[in-house]
Amino acid sequence: MGTQDLQPSVVQFAQLDKLLALCRANSLWPMTFGLACCAIEMMATGASRFDLARFGAEVFRPSPRQSDVMIVSGTINKKMAPAVETLYDQMPEPKWVIAMGNCAISGGPFVFEGQYGIVEGAHKLFPVDVIIPGCPPRPEALIEGILTLEEKLTGSRRWPRVEAG
Amino acid sequence: MLFCCLLIPEVFSDVSELLQGVIFVADYATIDLLYVAAFFLGGLSFAIGPFVIVYFLSPRSTRNTKKKTTQLIECGIDPIGDAWIKFGVVYYLYALMFVAFAVDILFLFPAAIVYNKPGIVNDLQAFIEILMFVGILSLIILYAWKKGVFKWERKIYNHQ
Repeated sequence: MGTQDLQPSVVQFAQLDKLLALCRANSLWPMTFGLACCAIEMMATGASRFDLARFGAEVFRPSPRQSDVMIVSGTINKKMAPAVETLYDQMPEPKWVIAMGNCAISGGPFVFEGQYGIVEGAHKLFPVDVIIPGCPPRPEALIEGILTLEEKLTGSRRWPRVEAG
Repeated sequence: MLFCCLLIPEVFSDVSELLQGVIFVADYATIDLLYVAAFFLGGLSFAIGPFVIVYFLSPRSTRNTKKKTTQLIECGIDPIGDAWIKFGVVYYLYALMFVAFAVDILFLFPAAIVYNKPGIVNDLQAFIEILMFVGILSLIILYAWKKGVFKWERKIYNHQ
């Protein structure tokens, strides 16, 4: 394991940090990175019908060095885990992780007695900020996850909360 | 901020008057020089500013799991072998050709200003002179052709 502690920035003012958090929250850049079926839902979220651009998070960057958010969309196999960890390492701070779907949360349907191929949740590899339940979650759920992450960053919700039902 | 204010015409003229007021012995050349210096500094700050801002505002470390933050390859897979390999520089010659013609186009602007003459006869004269100018510059192609630039010869190297 590498370092998990975060050295803060040189300049720190409360109001400036609030402003930076607002800027970061309203321009989240996810990584173009999909693992399994959830990635298809993630593509649908970015496409025209659900249009993640309405929420300022449509700029899927092809490189981890330009990304803010890693949306772990899909099953993390033990064979794939080193690659996922490397991508997480290569993302510069500030960075956040969204575990999308049951596989990324806990291993999902692949968890059973004696299974040896699946990492049981992204939190086994690195800290996770937001989890989106579902198998797979609908694009609206991913958008809700993005909004939840924004809420975590700024402390206030940008859009009215939609009650289920 | 001040630099951005210079871009607005009203402020621009105001600043020039101000400069003329402040620098009482200054002629226009000096003021022009000041403008050039201001724009130069502005451009420089646009280039260096982001690095400085990032240094002060970004976290000083990156959380990592396997200490692979500095790995060059950005697809998650470990690179095989060294990045210091020989590779063909065939395309470099084409790039040089492009630069030659880019400079050609750049030279066309002052030439077009110089040869901006009214009248039928002078128009024709200007046209012919520009044609000669471009023609002489176009000899680059013949020279490069003679040199064999346009032959795409891929040399095969043995990678380690």
